Amino acid sequence: MTEQSKHETKFTEIKFKVQRYDPEKDEKPHFQDFTVPYREGITVLDGLLYIKENLDSSLAFRTSCRMGICGSCAMLVNDYPHLACHTQIEEFHTDKLTVKPLPNLPIIKDLVPDLSTFFNNHSSIKPYIIRCDKEEMEQPTAEYAQTPKELDTFLQFTYCIKCGICVAACPTSASDKLFLGPQALAQCYRYCADSRDDGCNERASTVDGQHGIWHCHFAGACSEACPKGLDPALAIQLMKRRLVSKAVGSDKKKQPAAIVKLPATDTKPKVPVPEFTVKGK
Amino acid sequence: MRNTYLQFIQLITGILIAVLLGIHMVNMHLDAILGFFGVETFFGVNIAADPTIFSLMKARSQQVVFAGIYIALLIFALYHAFNGLRNIVLELTKSARAERAVTAVIIVVGVIFLAIGVYAPLALLS
Repeated sequence: MTEQSKHETKFTEIKFKVQRYDPEKDEKPHFQDFTVPYREGITVLDGLLYIKENLDSSLAFRTSCRMGICGSCAMLVNDYPHLACHTQIEEFHTDKLTVKPLPNLPIIKDLVPDLSTFFNNHSSIKPYIIRCDKEEMEQPTAEYAQTPKELDTFLQFTYCIKCGICVAACPTSASDKLFLGPQALAQCYRYCADSRDDGCNERASTVDGQHGIWHCHFAGACSEACPKGLDPALAIQLMKRRLVSKAVGSDKKKQPAAIVKLPATDTKPKVPVPEFTVKGK
Repeated sequence: MRNTYLQFIQLITGILIAVLLGIHMVNMHLDAILGFFGVETFFGVNIAADPTIFSLMKARSQQVVFAGIYIALLIFALYHAFNGLRNIVLELTKSARAERAVTAVIIVVGVIFLAIGVYAPLALLS
């Protein structure tokens, strides 16, 4: 934080305007105001927890890890998607916050969006290593070989925490409710680019569908909003290139990574294993 | 891979439109620049004359090369425009039946536009 912004933040309290919606009671969402005491370093999630503990225990929102790893607390803060736990209130330079659930997803209650479609889309692209050797895949005997260079081609996309922020930011997801969304499409690239994987053809039929990858307009909002700094828009473009290469037959046919040979069983450990100090009875 | 093929053609037609539209623009509107570089004829047409005069346009269209350029430009532009329009409309449709209906309407309208557009150069050629 700069010296200037430190001086700008002189709030004693923060006005939270939180969207409330209980489908069993309310016809449509409405807003409720709360006042939360300000302290340095307070996050949006801290504010919501304060509300739940002290002002209104019926407020519903998801949270778990409080450190930007689980992706549970994604929500719209001042009309931009953020992870509530990862966003300090100081960043907004205002004492008024409007908190809404992620858009482009149905609401279960208050700030809790229904992520079932989101996860169904994720599952539809088969987000796991697919191999021809089914036996080895089901009951692995060793690891598959992969060089650091091969890992680099998709590594950043493995950091996706599935928070749904990219889908909330995506203009295509807003207009096309059947669109697979940037998260699923980026994960499709993540697995297709994996040198250990051989399932790109299986995934291609899903992402090439009518509401699939070609409906991405490359607005780039997903990459702009991603709290983990990933670039799903890049993954989607690279996936498009893969599909076109496959369609015109210019893709390089590569065999998936081979199994790493197990070391010989008679190899002695380089460091001697110490004797157990605790003896069994 | 149907959508991939359609989008790949979209990409190719975009490039071809840029090339053919470039020829059209140079011929019709940038003749002064050609003159500046000492070019006297462009595709067999004297650039000193005003290219928008009807008799010159007619003479130009009676050449197979120009008729071919116009027809090709029309085909590529129609594909590019209508496929793009179809993509936009399909974002708002949810059922497969509606998608088929949109595609059918787009194809029919496109073919009608093509027939109207191709009529003039073909008539001038024959």
